[in-house]
Amino acid sequence: MEALVQRFPGARLGVNAVTALVIWGLLTWVNQVIEPLMSYYLATAAMYATAMFGMTILLGLSGQVSLGNGALMAVGGYIFALTSMNWQTVPILGTPWNAVWSMVFAGFGGVVFGAAIGGIAARLRGPYLAGLTLGIAVGVPAIANRFPELLGGENGLMLQVPYPAGGYTSGDTSDEAVDDGGEVPLDEEPVYEELPDDFGDFDEEFTDEFGDELDSDPGDLSDEDLLTEDDLLSEDDFLSDDDFLTDEDFTTEDGFEAGIDEEIPEEDLLSEDDFLSDDDFLTDEDFTTEDGFEADIDSDAGADLDAGLDGGSEASEGADITDPAADLDLAGVDAGVDAGFAIEQWQASMAIAVACVVGFIALNLVRGRQGRVWQAVRDDPIAAAVSGISPAGSKISAFVVSSLFAALAGAVFAQILTYVGPGAFTLGLSLSLLVGIVLGGRNSFIGAIIGAVILVWLPEFVLDVSADRGWQNQITNNAPNFIYGLLVVLVVLAAPGGIVGGIQSLAGRLRGQAKSSSSP
Amino acid sequence: MLRIDALSVNYGAVEALKNVSLDVPPGRVTAVIGANGAGKSTLMRTLAGLEKPLAGRVLFNDEDITGSKPEDIVRMGIALVPEGRSTIPDLTVEENLKLGGMWRTHAQRATSLTRVYALFPVLGERRHLGADTLSGGERQQLAIGRALMTGPQALLLDEPSLGLAPLIVTQILELVEHMARDSGLAVLLVEQNAATALRVAKTGIVLNLGEIVKSGPAREIAQDEELRHAYLGY
Amino acid sequence: MIDFIDYLLGGISSGAIIALMALALVLVWRSTRVVNFAQLGQAMFTTYIALTVRELTGSWFLGLIIAMAAGLVVGVIVHFLVIRPVKRLDTSGAIIATFGVLIALEALAAMVWGGDPEAFPPPINNSGYEAFGRIWPFSPYDLLVLASVVFLVLALSVVFTRTNVGLAMRASAFNPEVARLSGVRVNRMLALGWAIAGLVGAVAGVLVAPLSTLSPTSFDIFLVFAFTAAVIGGLDSLVGAVAFGIGTGLVIALVSGYSDSSNAPLVALVLLVLNLLFKPEGVFSHHKARAV
Ligand SMILES: Nc1ncnc2c1ncn2[C@@H]1O[C@H](COP(=O)(O)OP(=O)(O)O)[C@@H](O)[C@H]1O
Ligand SMILES: [Mg+2]
Repeated sequence: MEALVQRFPGARLGVNAVTALVIWGLLTWVNQVIEPLMSYYLATAAMYATAMFGMTILLGLSGQVSLGNGALMAVGGYIFALTSMNWQTVPILGTPWNAVWSMVFAGFGGVVFGAAIGGIAARLRGPYLAGLTLGIAVGVPAIANRFPELLGGENGLMLQVPYPAGGYTSGDTSDEAVDDGGEVPLDEEPVYEELPDDFGDFDEEFTDEFGDELDSDPGDLSDEDLLTEDDLLSEDDFLSDDDFLTDEDFTTEDGFEAGIDEEIPEEDLLSEDDFLSDDDFLTDEDFTTEDGFEADIDSDAGADLDAGLDGGSEASEGADITDPAADLDLAGVDAGVDAGFAIEQWQASMAIAVACVVGFIALNLVRGRQGRVWQAVRDDPIAAAVSGISPAGSKISAFVVSSLFAALAGAVFAQILTYVGPGAFTLGLSLSLLVGIVLGGRNSFIGAIIGAVILVWLPEFVLDVSADRGWQNQITNNAPNFIYGLLVVLVVLAAPGGIVGGIQSLAGRLRGQAKSSSSP
Repeated sequence: MLRIDALSVNYGAVEALKNVSLDVPPGRVTAVIGANGAGKSTLMRTLAGLEKPLAGRVLFNDEDITGSKPEDIVRMGIALVPEGRSTIPDLTVEENLKLGGMWRTHAQRATSLTRVYALFPVLGERRHLGADTLSGGERQQLAIGRALMTGPQALLLDEPSLGLAPLIVTQILELVEHMARDSGLAVLLVEQNAATALRVAKTGIVLNLGEIVKSGPAREIAQDEELRHAYLGY
Repeated sequence: MIDFIDYLLGGISSGAIIALMALALVLVWRSTRVVNFAQLGQAMFTTYIALTVRELTGSWFLGLIIAMAAGLVVGVIVHFLVIRPVKRLDTSGAIIATFGVLIALEALAAMVWGGDPEAFPPPINNSGYEAFGRIWPFSPYDLLVLASVVFLVLALSVVFTRTNVGLAMRASAFNPEVARLSGVRVNRMLALGWAIAGLVGAVAGVLVAPLSTLSPTSFDIFLVFAFTAAVIGGLDSLVGAVAFGIGTGLVIALVSGYSDSSNAPLVALVLLVLNLLFKPEGVFSHHKARAV
């Protein structure tokens, strides 16, 4: 292999491409055959891996301890959210809007921020850099509070994930919901409870159209007037208009775009959406689950994860909507599975694709000239400078690349959560990335992948153990981080190369033993 | 008093000292001379406990102190003035001195301080100034003073002449020689500058590439032209 | 103008506390050349201990004392179990290890005391003094904080400049080899540096808790503030840490007052970046002046 690469320079590219494609194919196949929950884990792990490929370059190859990558994920996430929410009608280069465009913009934002941070960071030694990036991890999410109109402040932004056409859309099933609506009052009641103001607006609109007729209570009217023969036509109209328009506006995405969103905070709209239609419940469930996930190290959020899995009775933000949602729980999950296309599967395939593209770029960089430059500067900056390499340039480029990856991961994260907000991109997220890369092994991309898997797997494992042992939630939710912290210290002490480094040195020792025992 | 027995020290693959044995008797100066890289500093650092020997022993008053920690060795009575002016510029002159021998009683330390100020009056004049305000010679005096504050029986001096004017070197070394004679101090003096060292020393030892190539009365070694050409380069 | 005075007054006690936190970071940096990013994690932990003691005994003061003792012990444990073994390896390892300790401590606190913010009421009146016909944003509790900080800083400076132990600690920080050759047990001095840092951090934690609430992560932001202050002060200088700790607190108070308190982290970030760009060695670095 190595000889082949030597002879044909282009072969390196081919090998890397094949590697990425094989992994992509494998994971895509896996994604088809596993349950939605597993797909969700797969999506999250792919997202972590995407971000941690950048950590491999920054920490492993370039030797810089950075805690800013969570904040750079926020940059990517917010840019994705803003562009996908506001620019969907804007054609780019003549093609209609596509989520990929938002990803491109997110990546671009990552590059810009990475260059800015890298420019400062290149002058700094270890602890100063760590402290600066710590400040970034804590300070950047606060920018959301600085511009509440644009960035949604503490509440963040809800985004509509541009699911593929014909796939999993809320529009399809909201029709079902409306059909069922006559029989099951469940769908309607929460609407009236939740959004009295907006109904007021609608009443006014209808008053304009239909004059005084609306004065009487619509419910009474319908009962009464169905019996009345001569008013049938107009009342029929009125009834259907009323019910369907309302339902539709609140349950389908059309309603979202129809200008109501000005009066209704976006997250309310989506929440309504969520329990009006069966399948949206899945989104809701995801939302709570991911909420717990995203802020891995944030203990409060950990509770949400637990609550979400226990039946979602104590979800964080949408606490008021969870009761009806819980009723729809089974129906929602069933609908998702029956359709053969769960939202998690879509998220996972998207996250896998991004991770593989990023992995491909990373492989090419690291196995090429740039990788040697980074390593040379890390090992001996003075010698590197003597041989014509700019240490500062090398550090900046490592920052830019890792920021690009982090921003793309952030965009993926936003799509998995269908939400961006300060609560999603906490210091805990940055620390998670550090934990993952240190545990997995900071010197290889395999280490990043293993780290990503650990980040997803350990909390689930602890949850299982805790279910067996009957631990308190307080213990269960925080035990993973406690274990992470201890493991990080242990790894730094005993196996600085992480799991991959440990296996390598173990293999090396075994080989050495084999050699020494065979040679004499 | 201080006996070194078949000492070997390695830095990784570099053999810095090979099977070195010598005696450092009280009341006089013993000089170790040799070219740069001969292993002189390694010998001193090993005696002071800063390097761990590969083989061999260090005996002090017939007690095996091989491998002891530097802070314990100095408490036993062996004080090293390391190569380069080993003062702490961030502290005042007096603080540098008081650093030496903190484990000793208040009275002992007060006596030592008075003695050091008597030996090196310039230090007394500048006791409250920062050590960074001193000249090179004064700093070397301060370093020796700090070592004396520990109340040593054996004093190890690693190239005190480094970077100093010859006149000042002679002054300092003669002072040390007097001290050895008057108070029974055992002095091991390491020098690249052989002529000056051998002038104050009773015994001379020539070190080359980690090995002792010659030892004997200082006057003989000073006059051995062959030796000078071969190992000392002048 | 009266706003300006109000904001400054309101920032004094938090500035004094940030000064203590920065002092803790500097003490550790001076002794082992490690920035202890777990310092405020340790402080958070000992503050929970203080809260528990206080709930059990009803005594704020006893809580403070036990927290200080705990801070001492935790500092020594972290030094011996984590930093000493790691230091031999590499600097990035030491940095990562302190973050590992931070993560573990925050999780442990959440496991023991729960993740929800808890109130830590001030031991004495925390409403502003009244004078000249108006209420000033400076309370008896602020006075207590200020007095405690001044007392602690003075006590530390006496220890460092007037005692043998202080001299040994400074020498160990500046030149461990010379210190050892002088007979100083340097490793003990380094451990003592961590212990005192833990104690100072514990005091800072107990003092700051009533100004907001206590949760496992509620001190994260103070880590940024303290780091900013310590770095601007030169990371080596106790005087610098105190001066810029108070300065950072006041700047944050002013910006928070004139705009919004959610800007505080950004203010710290801007200060830090400006400092790192224009004066990376810090203002009070000991290479320039022999600051204590
Ligand atoms: N810390 C060290 N690591 C590796 N080699 C060293 C070290 N210190 C000294 N050496 C080597 O050991 C040999 C003796 O050095 P040294 O004792 O300093 O000689 P001298 O003091 O006589 O000039 C030299 O070859 C030097 O390069
Ligand atoms: Mg030498």
